[in-house]
Amino acid sequence: MRFMVFVRSPLPLAALHKDALVRAGVLLDVGDLVPAAFGVSGYWLIDVRTKEEAVERVRRIPLPACVVEIRQVAVV
Amino acid sequence: MGATTSVHRTIDAVWRMESAKVIAALARYTRDVGLAEEMAQDALVAALEQWPEEGVPRNPGAWLTTTAKRRAIDQIRRRENFNRKVEEIGRDVQEATPDASEGIEDEIGDDLLSLIFTACHPVLGTEARVALTLKMLGGLKTEEIARAFLVSDSTVAQRIVRAKKALADAGVPFEVPEGPELAPRLASVLEVIYLIFNEGYSATQGDDWMRPELCAEALRLGRVLAELAPKEAEVHSLVALMEIQASRSKARTGPGGEPVLLLEQDRGKWDWLLIGRGLKALERAEALNQPPGPYYVQAALAACHGRARKAEDTDWQRIATLYQVLAQISPSPIVELNRAVALSMAFGPAAGLALVDEIAGEKALQGYHLLPSVRGDLLMKLGRTKEAKAEFEKAASLTRNERERTLLLERAAACD
Repeated sequence: MRFMVFVRSPLPLAALHKDALVRAGVLLDVGDLVPAAFGVSGYWLIDVRTKEEAVERVRRIPLPACVVEIRQVAVV
Repeated sequence: MGATTSVHRTIDAVWRMESAKVIAALARYTRDVGLAEEMAQDALVAALEQWPEEGVPRNPGAWLTTTAKRRAIDQIRRRENFNRKVEEIGRDVQEATPDASEGIEDEIGDDLLSLIFTACHPVLGTEARVALTLKMLGGLKTEEIARAFLVSDSTVAQRIVRAKKALADAGVPFEVPEGPELAPRLASVLEVIYLIFNEGYSATQGDDWMRPELCAEALRLGRVLAELAPKEAEVHSLVALMEIQASRSKARTGPGGEPVLLLEQDRGKWDWLLIGRGLKALERAEALNQPPGPYYVQAALAACHGRARKAEDTDWQRIATLYQVLAQISPSPIVELNRAVALSMAFGPAAGLALVDEIAGEKALQGYHLLPSVRGDLLMKLGRTKEAKAEFEKAASLTRNERERTLLLERAAACD
């Protein structure tokens, strides 16, 4: 199942911290966004087996203080 | 109770993420993959006992590895003649768990690669290799593998036990093969990954959900391997092939579960994200400038379709050329038959028919329904309807697929 992970931080972090997800073979897409105050600064689209795995994978990424939102992609 | 299940789901997730690394790290010390796998399982049992009470540790992977290593030491101590090994492992357990850094990642990478090559060793039969790979690299449980392959738990369990014994009996070293040994060993690994993918791809509606999940599993394994062995063009090619094939999974069956041919698929249902990933993987393969291997050609063929937003945009000339390359790597009349179809699409039915007639006598094609089916199609396009009708009828008598037979008889009837 796919999860979109939104990273909220003043500076973009998603592209910088993608390596572990790439090595695990779960990263489908990554992007940093043009900065906006307190907004989403980037995203990872990952393909993992369960919601718990999504949470565990994201938790391991050594991010500086920021807010991360993990949302499952709806299956059409 | 709710909290317990949530912890258990987390443990499941942690296990799937970490087990390969735990087994790989352990196998480096014990030089015995079977023992490493058993000790990792023991560590999992310990986690299932302790984590619901104490909480999931901050670094669960390190916890599992340390626990498994301690069990391995106990185990080896019991077999006293392994004193030297105990010293080695003991020293390592004493050392503080290191933080992830470049060097460590490289080491884990080498261990993982060794584990993949060991699980896919050619001394094992394909079923054994597939089961070991899913168990040790994919972190799947025995019963999940059984469900995915529609066999009993005990069958899979036996396959794994026998495979581990076969590896030990053959004295297979835990290492990444080098030199002339590398190519056939890598081929064996790629074969296993593609087999897993195809097993998932052949799943049909109503099958256990574990079956299609095998495609995702194979894709992840392939992507992991591409990072571990980035200089092997065939690895990137296999990833490209799987990404592009997976992109069509929603378009390849109709509402009743019937197969929809590639050229008739609704390309709006293709997963263009996966196609993009596949094309990128193919570029990585091409950038390595290695002679084209079988996965490269298949991926390049899939890419010709993947690049075409509409079926009419397909580059048939390139497809015909690629089939020619494939015929050189692995000659087969079926490849020639495909090339004939590509030629007819690129240069007209007469060009295709010339090649079909050339290969029609091939022994391997006798009784193969696609030969008269293709020939009938080309004859029909050339206006030779009487001959076409006979070919469609012949094809209908040869196919074992009911739906296909109906279709062929309809085409035969349309010739009148």
